[in-house]
Amino acid sequence: MSRSIVEIGGRRLPLTNLEKDLYPPYGFTKAHVLDYYRRIAPVILSHLKDRPLTLKRYPDGVEKDYFFEKRCPGHRPAWLKTADLVRDGGERMTVCLVNDLETLIWVENLASLELHVPLAKAVSPKTPDSIVFDLDPGEGANVLDCARVALILRGLLLEWRLAGFVKTSGRKGLHLYVPLNRKEATFDETKRFSKAVAVVLEKNYPDLVTSRMAKEFRKGRVFINWSQNDASKTMVSVYSLRAGEKPVVSFPLSWRELENASERGDPDKLRVLHSEAVRRAGKSGDLFRQVLTKKQRLPHP
Amino acid sequence: MAMQGIWSGTISFSLVAIPVQLVRAIEPGRVSFRMLHSADYSPLRRKMFCPEEERIVSPEEIVRGYEIGPGRHFLITDEELESVSPERSRTIEISEFIDLREVDPIYYDHPYYLVPEKGGEKAYRLLAEVMERTGKAGLARFVLDEREHLVAVRSAEGVLALITLHYAGEVLPAGDILAAGGQIDALEKGRMKKEIKKRMSRFDPDAYADGRRKSLLDLLKKKAKERPPVEAPAAEGEETEGPADLIAALQKSMRKLKEDR
Repeated sequence: MSRSIVEIGGRRLPLTNLEKDLYPPYGFTKAHVLDYYRRIAPVILSHLKDRPLTLKRYPDGVEKDYFFEKRCPGHRPAWLKTADLVRDGGERMTVCLVNDLETLIWVENLASLELHVPLAKAVSPKTPDSIVFDLDPGEGANVLDCARVALILRGLLLEWRLAGFVKTSGRKGLHLYVPLNRKEATFDETKRFSKAVAVVLEKNYPDLVTSRMAKEFRKGRVFINWSQNDASKTMVSVYSLRAGEKPVVSFPLSWRELENASERGDPDKLRVLHSEAVRRAGKSGDLFRQVLTKKQRLPHP
Repeated sequence: MAMQGIWSGTISFSLVAIPVQLVRAIEPGRVSFRMLHSADYSPLRRKMFCPEEERIVSPEEIVRGYEIGPGRHFLITDEELESVSPERSRTIEISEFIDLREVDPIYYDHPYYLVPEKGGEKAYRLLAEVMERTGKAGLARFVLDEREHLVAVRSAEGVLALITLHYAGEVLPAGDILAAGGQIDALEKGRMKKEIKKRMSRFDPDAYADGRRKSLLDLLKKKAKERPPVEAPAAEGEETEGPADLIAALQKSMRKLKEDR
């Protein structure tokens, strides 16, 4: 097993198996993964900060078994920031907080290709910072159908004076975030709202949208997964890699980009590879910044 | 017939490699039941319980142990387990041919069919036909579900079937069962032979059926006619679409949005 030591922020980190190909169909080693996260760190860190991390580890690459790890591994270095959560069953759990580059690199050395975080911070696990509409195409539907749904959703949200931000899932879908960033927000409220929106869209566009999880409703339609608005759920973080054939990133899009892709019927524009992600983030900065800062209130009819 | 493939790859023999899918050959006809909570008819789930701490243990807290004595185990990690698991097979490579009649049926484990995939139909037909004509079965080693199996591939009515075989070490010796006893009378032997001859028939699988399964299904049909099924309470958040006023307000916005277009 190869080993090398890097020094980041005054911490010495041993890195292992750097030459291991983690995306064998494409050719992308652990060294490439670490390099991607190092370069994307300036934009991803604020989205991971203070949120309990769920690791999704692929120790032998994307073609082999993976596992989720909600607990912060016991062999973590002493300096690593953690939080103690109390789970629904009353049992305590220590989680990793990825607040700096050294933690991000330590986590990636565990081959956690994907980084998943909840909609709430560790100190306020019952307070969602945003609402998410997880647009998931069923069999026979694609990302362009999701783009149509996202654009309709955006129009509906604007009627309610709510700004939304969209990112690719890095797989086949899109994630639309509506920032709230208010202490009084509750998951009860965000779930009720997102479900009502999903139901109304389904009624108006029955051939395009479903609000129901069951497979038979999802064929050829986009499932608006409102149930992600829950304290126990996590979403893949913006700028996280996804495990798949290629190192594709969950990447933010401007509404203009989404409209253009939708008009041209060009799904490739909605798939952002690692290198393009680094380039675009370097050029335009963090398109998802306002998800963390914009304060909005859900209107009560 | 749409069948769910369990595995896909190629079957190869000398210079031919045929793309195939492995599908189930048996659909167990078992009628299965779910355990419900008698109070509200919710389907019950299994949880892991630690008798020492008297609490339910979450999946992250569970590790694997190999028992060597009461309360004494060796720990085995996922990585260690994986390190001894064979690589998944991509081909079923027939190394030799045998006469299947030489194989004691006690070695037969589980049957599957091999279905040709696009582009492999012609080569598949050729192999199936030749194997059927010669009456031979191919032997191969094949990894399925992280286990390496010895398999026999045979052909019947133009279809290739695959049977996983038990390893010799898994078959318990019959020798231990051999009954002791004195001489057997030739007259008795002859009489028994005659009895057997009198009852000879052809094996007709259609003539037999699982009687209990049929009775159970009849019973369920009868129940369906008599009264509606019991229902579990709706899952949380599933029961309603949402507050009527919120839905109405959203619907109003939606109408406005559509008109503006």
